[in-house]
Amino acid sequence: MKKTILISFVITMLITLFSSVYAKDLSKSEIVHFWIAVPAGNITEPITIIKAGLPPIKMAPLVIDLDQRGIFKKILNPNTEAISTHWIYNIGKKPIRIKLELIEANYPIRWEVKAAWPYDPETHTFTKPLPPGMGIPKLSIDWIFEIPNYYMDEKVIYDGGLLVIDADTNELLTFIPIKLIRGGISQGGGASCCG
Amino acid sequence: MWLKSLMRNKYRYISWIIGFILFVGPFAIIMRIYYYLAGILREPDLHMACFRMPIDWIFSGRIYYIFSYPEMFLFIFAVLITSLILGPVFCGWLCPVGAFSEAISRIIPLPNKYRIQIKDPKITRAIRYGFLTGFIMISILILLGFSERFTAICCWYCASSVLQQIINGIINPIELEYWFSGSIIVLIFWLIIGGIFTVGGRGWCLFFCPLGALSGIFHKIGSKLGFYRTIRIEGKCSNCDKCISVCPMQAIDSNFSIERTLCINCKECISRCPNKLYKMIWRNKNASSKIN
Repeated sequence: MKKTILISFVITMLITLFSSVYAKDLSKSEIVHFWIAVPAGNITEPITIIKAGLPPIKMAPLVIDLDQRGIFKKILNPNTEAISTHWIYNIGKKPIRIKLELIEANYPIRWEVKAAWPYDPETHTFTKPLPPGMGIPKLSIDWIFEIPNYYMDEKVIYDGGLLVIDADTNELLTFIPIKLIRGGISQGGGASCCG
Repeated sequence: MWLKSLMRNKYRYISWIIGFILFVGPFAIIMRIYYYLAGILREPDLHMACFRMPIDWIFSGRIYYIFSYPEMFLFIFAVLITSLILGPVFCGWLCPVGAFSEAISRIIPLPNKYRIQIKDPKITRAIRYGFLTGFIMISILILLGFSERFTAICCWYCASSVLQQIINGIINPIELEYWFSGSIIVLIFWLIIGGIFTVGGRGWCLFFCPLGALSGIFHKIGSKLGFYRTIRIEGKCSNCDKCISVCPMQAIDSNFSIERTLCINCKECISRCPNKLYKMIWRNKNASSKIN
């Protein structure tokens, strides 16, 4: 009996560890989480921004290969994909009213925004200036791509990006290129959504 | 027969509804009150009283999140202290995730012979704490710099998020359009395998909830200190096995011993035993009983 108990314990522990590895693999191509710093300019390659008082901010152009998604996703819910962030930090020297724009596609991209910071869903603008050295508290933004069937056969399903703009001056502060593709290698995502 | 079996321990249904209103959006009364008092603008939901992330943060060296999400740490602290004193009553009476799967299991009249039941609670306990150990090991591996290979599983496999998504979807069906692999796996394990096809409907609580597993440890310590616990007293037993079949946590073995780390003080055994052999006690550490 003791042997059965020990085996049950070890097997469950190993399954749990494996589930983490599986999640890590899939997090590069499903509900990809990424960090945003402003101002950071045009993100053309992976960078890590280190600022005193802030966690290391890793940014990169996002390339998401829909073919690398999990088997359940591919079979049961293939026509939607999402990207997500919980982290927008002001690394500049002045307070900024942050406005977000996602380059549009020929199909709907739905925004789901929650934050403990005043936000206008019509203009996608955080209406209160974000002080330097601070991140938007309790932030959750999901962009959900509702991809029609006929686009799913394309090699490139989305080729655009996220623009982070100073809402007062209309100056482009950060641009993160985003691509959804079929076939290739996912890059740039995979941040842990648990913080 | 089936309807009659649903009518047991009616107070738990009421407490499930209360738990639902307290924690699940659009109500999320507990977090709403906290946000109001703290001047936080965000719309609260079940995810903001996360049952898992603070445990991961503690073991992965990210306890500094206590400054960003103090309410989550407070919530877990409250659940564990309550478990020590009153037993895991949050699990048994308020947790909307466990209540939802148990309710689904009760509503679907599938005979227990078609459901998963582990007869020996010691094996159930081993599986439960195998998961908890794995969960903590992942956090420690991330702390040690293995974050390129491992990720925290709190959010990727999150029954709270799935429950909140289902409720959001009832209000606004568009919210049900997006599922990722993790949420699909959770749906299968939480409601289908752990709910419909597990005796008691609490497979998720038994095997995949780190807060439930920690609460079990606190309850075991609490019971040794003489705090509230369910016991089985000596008496004439009709061997109907009702206590075993109604225990949502499969915590009672064939000798009618209660596995303390699984018991959630739900009182199902107390309400169903025809001979009134189960009761809750306080203090009396040496009560004549079969307890582990």
